Amino acid sequence: MNILTGRVRKQFFQTVQIALILVFIVVMLVPILWIGLAAFKQHVDVYQLKLLFTPTLENFRVVFEAPYYLGEKLKNSTIVATVTVVIAIPIATCAAYAFSRFRLRGQSALLVMILATQFVPAVVIVLPFFIMFRNLGLLDTLTGLILVNLAIVMPFAIWMIKGFIDGIPIETEEAALVDGSSRMQVIRNIVLPMAAPGLVTAGIFCFIIAWNEFLFALILTSKDAVTLPIGLALFKAEEGDLWNLLAAAGIIIMVPMFILALIIRKHFVQGMTMGAVR
Amino acid sequence: MASISLNSVTKQWGDVKGVDNQSLDIADKEFLVLLGPSGCGKTTTMRMIAGLEEPSSGDIFIGERRVNDDLPKDRDIAMVFQNYGLYPHMSVEQNIAYPLKVRDTPKEAIAERVLRAAEQVELVPLLKRKPKALSGGQRQRVALARAIVRTPKVFLMDEPLSNLDAKLRVSMRAELKNLSHKLKITTVYVTHDQIEAMTLADRVAVMSGGKIQQLGPPEEIYNNPENLFVASFIGSPAMNLIKGDIVESVFSTPDSTNITMPPECPVTSRTDVVLGIRPEDITIVDAGHGDVDASVFAVENTGDSVLVTVKLGDQKFTARGDRYLKCGIDEQIGLQINHHHFYLFDANSEKRLR
Amino acid sequence: MRDATLKYVLVAPAVVVVMATAVWPLFESFRLSLYAGRLSRPHFPQAFIGVENYTWAFIEEPAFWNSVAVTVWFTVVTVALTTVLALAFALLLAPGGKFRSGVQALLILPFAMSPALIGVSFRFMFNPEFGLFDAVFGALLPGVAAVSWLSDPTLAFWVVVIADVWGWIPFLTLVLIGGLASIPRETIEAAQIDGAAGWRVFKDVTLPQLVPVLAVVVILKAIFSLKTFDLVFMLTNGGPGTATQTLSHYVYFNGFKYSNLGYSSAVAWLMVIPMIFLTYAYARFVFDTKKS
Repeated sequence: MNILTGRVRKQFFQTVQIALILVFIVVMLVPILWIGLAAFKQHVDVYQLKLLFTPTLENFRVVFEAPYYLGEKLKNSTIVATVTVVIAIPIATCAAYAFSRFRLRGQSALLVMILATQFVPAVVIVLPFFIMFRNLGLLDTLTGLILVNLAIVMPFAIWMIKGFIDGIPIETEEAALVDGSSRMQVIRNIVLPMAAPGLVTAGIFCFIIAWNEFLFALILTSKDAVTLPIGLALFKAEEGDLWNLLAAAGIIIMVPMFILALIIRKHFVQGMTMGAVR
Repeated sequence: MASISLNSVTKQWGDVKGVDNQSLDIADKEFLVLLGPSGCGKTTTMRMIAGLEEPSSGDIFIGERRVNDDLPKDRDIAMVFQNYGLYPHMSVEQNIAYPLKVRDTPKEAIAERVLRAAEQVELVPLLKRKPKALSGGQRQRVALARAIVRTPKVFLMDEPLSNLDAKLRVSMRAELKNLSHKLKITTVYVTHDQIEAMTLADRVAVMSGGKIQQLGPPEEIYNNPENLFVASFIGSPAMNLIKGDIVESVFSTPDSTNITMPPECPVTSRTDVVLGIRPEDITIVDAGHGDVDASVFAVENTGDSVLVTVKLGDQKFTARGDRYLKCGIDEQIGLQINHHHFYLFDANSEKRLR
Repeated sequence: MRDATLKYVLVAPAVVVVMATAVWPLFESFRLSLYAGRLSRPHFPQAFIGVENYTWAFIEEPAFWNSVAVTVWFTVVTVALTTVLALAFALLLAPGGKFRSGVQALLILPFAMSPALIGVSFRFMFNPEFGLFDAVFGALLPGVAAVSWLSDPTLAFWVVVIADVWGWIPFLTLVLIGGLASIPRETIEAAQIDGAAGWRVFKDVTLPQLVPVLAVVVILKAIFSLKTFDLVFMLTNGGPGTATQTLSHYVYFNGFKYSNLGYSSAVAWLMVIPMIFLTYAYARFVFDTKKS
């Protein structure tokens, strides 16, 4: 009675599956592609929703000039993100190693506290920072931004690196200790090389977070230390938003992050859920 | 009628053939064991019978019906997995009841049959527990109970004992044997353990490289191997194998060991042969009184026998001696070969010479 | 140095950083919420007013309750939508062995876009004159074209929801794909052999085993939804009016546009309360799954 034998049914479902996957991919990619396209459009083309247009690189040139000076903001973002990572990773690695290999008093409580700070909304702590920075003259400085970004990335870094170190078999270290190494030597000669991919991944992850950080940069900077995401807000003219320029700026923000994210994609999930899911 | 037939079944992924054009007939109520090392195709074969994999070519029949296009649930089979596949969020009772629940069996019937299955595997006191609170052996029995709670046409078992510790494995083997005798259902059993194969099977299919190397009852597989693979795979300790040539009824190896072949030898002169002798078919005698002399390399007392490994030229031979045998390392002893139980194989084709 | 002391030395810098940069501001923020004060005045804070900021929020400020409503509604809707859609896509994408890394690569891309950027992007696409989505939806449902999406309170809310869901689906899908992969294949196959058809297998065997991962997904998304600021700021800036003003945005507005810092600290601290519960729940799952 069934024309829907096992085989036909299977093929039908497989086609439906592929169709749905394609829909999914399209939905996920269209917004990115659209704004990507807009970056290459001239001002007029943007307003006409054209798919075919003569591309131009003019937008990219303009955003780096007055009055936008995107180059300045690009430099700020790079410095802040890089320095944050350079400070955060070594500190986090030490702590992560200790949490992984040793039993500390109050360890669970500490770890939970570190976890918890991640979930505090930025708005809650931005005001004390603002006041403190005002008193210390750190407003609108890169140093100030680096400090707050440290606050944000440190929990991620600790959890991610701890996850990696947990995954390294402990036997190699124990063999080295038996052979006569000191603990610090073990960390330097054995653990660090083996954990290096994990450290790089955590570093990239934290870089992305610092790069995209918005609220603190919004409130704690005004003209000297402005970072790229805030620079986006500049592209409002009286007649409305300058979408083509905005799109070009958006591309400049996005593309480095895409590349970095692609590099670490395997460990992405682990990082974001702080080890809850592998 | 629950016979199983595989006709020219192949399973391949790209260029790799997991199962290579194999045909096999399993009789109703037969207990057939698929035996072989990892990667030989035994599990793939069983999964095709189950419907968990689709053959790349060939037909599979259960009874009279061609089941290639049937979903597993429509084939009326039950399966015990190597890692048991128990539903972790359900109790033992719910696990066992699941096949019945899914077929909309009425509640009272379910309760009664679950109880009966649990009794058969001695699980009744554990019915309310969850799998994670059970030991390996207990989980195994839950998997078994879940399989027998219906009366399917075919049982499939994928290395069900391999995750148990040695002692438990032995006792569960006996349980399985008894259970299968009582239930009388066609069974396909996959294992890499030759002792399981020997003790449980009506017939054994020894597989390697996607092909069935030999099919037959256990005694025949053991005493009459068709090729080198079967000869060396079955038997513990393994059959001794040495390469050499036979010239005028004398077997000689490259390192100049010479053994005079008895009249039962099927071949008078032939190059590139392999001589096979099982350890229990060698008797240890004083030097000079056997077919060949050798010096002792190692002596292992297993409790029920003594295994003596000797050096024969460049190669080692193992003989099984009486458990009270005493000999020392580097001692010269004589080996007496059982003239009715040695095997000759062609070194290139690996086939048995008769 | 002996291990016993070394371990504390190793942990100390990190703990100091976290204390100084996260814990201290938290408490300081609470202290500030007990004062009245405007930022413009030289000595801030001014007067100690105890819990008056809090009572003001609860009793006298409809705008506060508005943002609570917006936030709660936003959270519920986005969590539900994202979870269901992510689960559907994860089921769609999970079996594909060779697809897997291609899909992962693809799914990373939307996630590397920061919420601020997503906000800008969607504002662009929903522009009534030349927005892409305006054109697409207008073509599908005539009468909807040239609607001023972001000027209508209800529509603007849904645009924010769509943008947020779009941004988070890739990540949650990846998490759920991982979760699905960790379900032992044998439990699924056993169910198939036992007689269950596709949907039944999902309901009886897959879903129950997915619960721990689903819980993590839901809690995480809830936390992120409650925190939402960047997206709202760039997409609608809380508008039209206050139709999309989430709590974070409300705090920002009061704190830095109106300079009412004591009050905004109080509201910000009120946000911490649900966070405590959610964090506790999340920690439970993280530590529990690690133990078993």
